Amino acid sequence: MYAGTRDERLCPAQTFVIGAVVHPDQETITFFVPESRSERILSDLKSNGRVALAVSLLTHEAYQLKGSYISSRPTDTKDRTVQEIYRSKLLSAMLQASYPEQIARPLVLGMAYQPAVAMTFRVEEIFLQTPGPEAGRKIS
Amino acid sequence: MGILPDEIKPAMQGVIPSHVATCSLDGTPNVTTVSQVYYVDPDHVALSYQFFNKTIKNIRENPRALAWVINPETFESWDLALEYEHSETSGPVFDVMDMQIEAIASMTGMKGIFKLRASDIYRVISATKNVGERLPLSEIDIASGTT
Amino acid sequence: MKHPVATEKEIPVEIRKQIAENQQIIDRLNRELARKSNEVRIIQQISSEITSTLDLDRILETILSAMDRILGFQHAMILLKDQSADNLRVVASRGYDHVTVGAEIAFGHGVIGVVAERQKMMRVGNIGASVSYLTAVQAKLKEAGQQGLSHVTAKLPSLPNVQSQLAIPLLVKDRLIGVLAVESPRPNAFDELDEILLSIVANQAATAIENARMYQMVEQLSRLKRFFSPQLAELIVAGGTEDPLKTHRREVTVVFLDLRGFTTFAEQVEPEEVMGVLRDYHAEMGRLILEHEGTLERFTGDGMMIFFNDPVPVPNPAERALRMVLVMRERVQELSSRWRRRGYDLALGMGIAQGYATIGAIGFEGRWDYGAIGTVTNLAARLCGEAKGNQILVSLRVAGEVEALIETEEVGPLALKGFHKPVPAFSVLGMKPNA
Repeated sequence: MYAGTRDERLCPAQTFVIGAVVHPDQETITFFVPESRSERILSDLKSNGRVALAVSLLTHEAYQLKGSYISSRPTDTKDRTVQEIYRSKLLSAMLQASYPEQIARPLVLGMAYQPAVAMTFRVEEIFLQTPGPEAGRKIS
Repeated sequence: MGILPDEIKPAMQGVIPSHVATCSLDGTPNVTTVSQVYYVDPDHVALSYQFFNKTIKNIRENPRALAWVINPETFESWDLALEYEHSETSGPVFDVMDMQIEAIASMTGMKGIFKLRASDIYRVISATKNVGERLPLSEIDIASGTT
Repeated sequence: MKHPVATEKEIPVEIRKQIAENQQIIDRLNRELARKSNEVRIIQQISSEITSTLDLDRILETILSAMDRILGFQHAMILLKDQSADNLRVVASRGYDHVTVGAEIAFGHGVIGVVAERQKMMRVGNIGASVSYLTAVQAKLKEAGQQGLSHVTAKLPSLPNVQSQLAIPLLVKDRLIGVLAVESPRPNAFDELDEILLSIVANQAATAIENARMYQMVEQLSRLKRFFSPQLAELIVAGGTEDPLKTHRREVTVVFLDLRGFTTFAEQVEPEEVMGVLRDYHAEMGRLILEHEGTLERFTGDGMMIFFNDPVPVPNPAERALRMVLVMRERVQELSSRWRRRGYDLALGMGIAQGYATIGAIGFEGRWDYGAIGTVTNLAARLCGEAKGNQILVSLRVAGEVEALIETEEVGPLALKGFHKPVPAFSVLGMKPNA
């Protein structure tokens, strides 16, 4: 999962995202960004609020969710559990997609995920992003 | 000049996918996975253009992009601030990328269907080696997959 | 004026720093130079091993062994281009369980096939990731109704779990003769230095392989020239006809010749004079056979067997045989008048027949000959035996084939050994005036 933002000069920034939670209203999502990358992301979000969240299943099916920033806070223990579940799911998905183990394991397990910042945004558009001529089709 | 150091080259072999963030003229960011960011020279990289997508559309409106690449042996990662310069449909950079794509396409039954439309050439504005993104490898219990 | 020499204490800090940096640069350059000298030495060693032999198999083995021992490429193969098709064939491999010599790769297929097609080197280090990505794209495209996707891709000779490949075209004067390829189960296993080293090996290999192949061809050519005309030998070596030594049946026109009176002559005359006569006779006959593009199957002293329509098919074998024999008769008549002045009484007897024969390599290891067997050869031989001096006897079949060209006179049916019924035979008087 990755998140993209941009600054006032339209220069983009990005980070990988370790774990996310969809709120019961089905419109709001909170995602977790490790502190090593959160400074620039937060600064962009606070200045213009625009964010894109790329979610891909390793069958190479991918979705791009776009929306507006609402708020942020440090992660708590519940968040941490979500992150750990995400990490182990990501690793098993990579191994299933035939990534060599000596790459997948250190890649996923070596990502620093704590301390992290929980960032919340409202989803406004969803796009299908799977590679191929269908890419970019808006689905809601 | 000469921004990209030699040590970044293994990160540009497509062993671990990279991702690229762009932004449309109306200020909406977009981030996608790319299989490989190609090294052209110490000041340029290239992305392959096979199917038209949001990334391609964005950089033609707003040429600034950010690519994240990672070395598959050391797991060091880099943020590359890029500016789109032009596209090539022939020449040495195009040929190298085209040959690779043709070879892999032929191995997966996609010969003639999955083709390189163009090589998009970007100027590298800065290359930042990331710190603090990784847990020290000794902390990872590789065998059991827990930390 | 002598300048005072500065002591170290007096040299300013900035300059000392510069000197230290310069020294670092010099050390680094020296290390690189040593590494390069090492590489140069390695390349020279490989090069001398490769070019020390003209035996193609030894060369291939040496290349792969040197690449493994000296440069550390454990999985490598050499493919050569087919003569007349855009296809490569594995001729040698090392470090594989299942890649067999003879396995084929078409141009444009896989890394090796694309390298052959574009005649440019290619290095990939992410085959697993790329294939998995494209397979997923293919599935999505299929769902979306894309046409033209293949289901099964032909299995290319390769490591089962290959991640990295580096392949280089083998070029001789811009002509592609094959490809040299190395593989690894590790991603990103090869770098730019490997590209350089392999390029140098490839250059040496291309020249050595081409030389060995030329040598092989020359050897084969000189061997074949003992049996066939030079044009034919060249045609066979260039791959323009099927292997003539492989057993096959074909309809051929067979000519037998020998000199009437030769046995008596050889008994009575000095050996040197016999050889002299034979030399003149062979020279004339040989020249005429070549001119008419016949195949000399054998000659034993004064006897010769020549046939037409093999190994190269011709449209009118009987006519060619006739024309050749008529000229031969004239020439030997000229020679005979010379010989008669020395007291030798020799004349040519000739027999021609046409029919199916079994043709191929006859003999044993170390002594293979190209031969034809069948009723047709017996008939031609017997007709020759029956022919008087200066007489050409032809079978019914041959007479029929060339009746528009020649005047004949029936002399049969003849009782011939090996034929239980008398055989029709015709004597050739000469060419028809309008032929």
